[in-house]
Parts: sequence; structure tokens; C-alpha cells
Amino acid sequence: MSHWMHNCKEITRMVSESLDRKLPLHQRMGIRIHLFMCKFCSRYRKQLLILREAMRLQERYLEDTKPSLTLSPEARERINRSFIASLNKSQ
Amino acid sequence: MNETGTADNRHMPDPEIWVDQYGDYLFRFALSRLRDRSAAEDLVQETFLAALHARENFKGRSSVTTWLTGILQHKIIDHLRKGSREQPVEDVEPFTPTLDDLFDEKGKWKIGPSKWNVSPMELYEQKEFWRILALCLLELSDRLAQIFALRELEELNTKEICKVFDISATNCWVMLYRARMLLRRCLEINWFSVKTYEGK
Repeated sequence: MSHWMHNCKEITRMVSESLDRKLPLHQRMGIRIHLFMCKFCSRYRKQLLILREAMRLQERYLEDTKPSLTLSPEARERINRSFIASLNKSQ
Repeated sequence: MNETGTADNRHMPDPEIWVDQYGDYLFRFALSRLRDRSAAEDLVQETFLAALHARENFKGRSSVTTWLTGILQHKIIDHLRKGSREQPVEDVEPFTPTLDDLFDEKGKWKIGPSKWNVSPMELYEQKEFWRILALCLLELSDRLAQIFALRELEELNTKEICKVFDISATNCWVMLYRARMLLRRCLEINWFSVKTYEGK
């Protein structure tokens, strides 16, 4: 039973890992037992889920809000030139 | 909702206007994954050239944006793979002090996480939140941010990420852990503790 008892530091690492792979059963049990008793680690887990969702929403948000981040005029010019050159060659 | 906000066409516009129409979007896409302006510009350029040569393959099953983005995604992963060969990912660096400070010697939280009473969809309306998230992401090292982006934006699994950066699975999990710990801490300090959410 003792190896099921993890401290918060270990649990935070395991919870993060559980977002990246399926953990073995004893670890999942260990997390569940710990979260049941630990308010902070439960919050931590919820925070990671919000963070994950936020990362995915972020791109949509940036595109929706008329982004100011654009190619510099020089880069656009350079890309256009190489592209047009290549286009003319292919025709 | 589509990616560009333009009425996204399934038939391809003339190549002459590709750069104007899709350049900025692709640039932002690459920049958020690479964090390197000039590399992002180069990959956008390569993407257009590759697309030009492959344009017969475009079947109109997806939007032009999706098609171009797919080409760019391959180029990004390729670029990261080459980059990590030239400059190998260091073995697990020690935790930054701020993270080690979070737990006492028994591994208990010193400052416990606070309650984030908000759903991501509610956050969507909070302009300030997204500004802070962007700033928090900038605090990650480039490599850490790249790995995190491959996981959370590209949704690659850790096996695939390990291959790109030539690192062990354990190293990969630790890096992702570190990125999440740093980000949640940064958001908590700069957003959740400052603003009590008022949109209820």
C-alpha cells in the first residue's frame, strides 16, 4: 500500500504525465486516492485541463481578433518575388 | 468558424494572390510553433513553392488554408528535427528555482494552487487573459515552447515528439511537465490572483 502514497510533488508530475500517455493502473489509482484527499492537487489537475483547452482556443482567438502580427513588408516582398519567379518558370 | 475569417474557398484562387491571401496566416502559424521570425518566413516561402508544384494534388476536399497548413506543418517538424540535430536538446536541465520553491522538503505544496473559477469558453471573452497567456508562453525557453506546441497544438503524441527532438520519452514528459508548471504558475500570478473573474 505504501507505494500508493505519493506526495504532492510526485502527484503533479504524474498528473501531467497522464495528459501525455495512459498511466499504469497502480499510478492511476495512486492519483485518484491522492486527489480525493488533496484540494491543491485537485485544483492543479483542473488548471492543467484549462491550460490545455486554452492553448487550443488561443489560435482561434488570435485569428478572430484581426491579428496585427503579419509578415514584414520585406519578407512579403521576398516571398512574393521568389514565388512569382517560380510561377513564371512553371508556366 | 474557419481559420482565416475569409469565406474559405474549396477551389483554388490564382497563385498570384496566394501570398497576399494566406501569407500572414501561415506566418503566424509557423511563428507560434517555432518562435523564430526568420525561420517562420523561410518556411512560409518554402510552403508556397511546394504548394505551387503540388497544386494538381489539391482536390478541394479541404479548404485551401487547410491544405497549405498541412504542407507547412511538415516543414515545421522537419525544421525542428534538423535544428535538434545541430543543437541537441540538453538532458533534463535542473528545475528553475521558482519551481523548486513550490514544494517543501516533504513534497507538499508551499503555495497551493488557487481555484480557477472559469471555463475556457468564458475566458474567450477576456482579452486580457490572452495577452497574459502570450506573455507567459514567452517566458518558456524556445525549446520548451516548441515541444509544448507540438504536444498541445499539433497534438503529436510523445513518441512522435521524442523522434523529432531525439530525446527519451522520460525527458519528453519532464519537459512537458515543466512547461505546464511554469505556465500555470505564471497564469495564476498574473491573471487569476489579480483579477477575480467578474463575468459570472
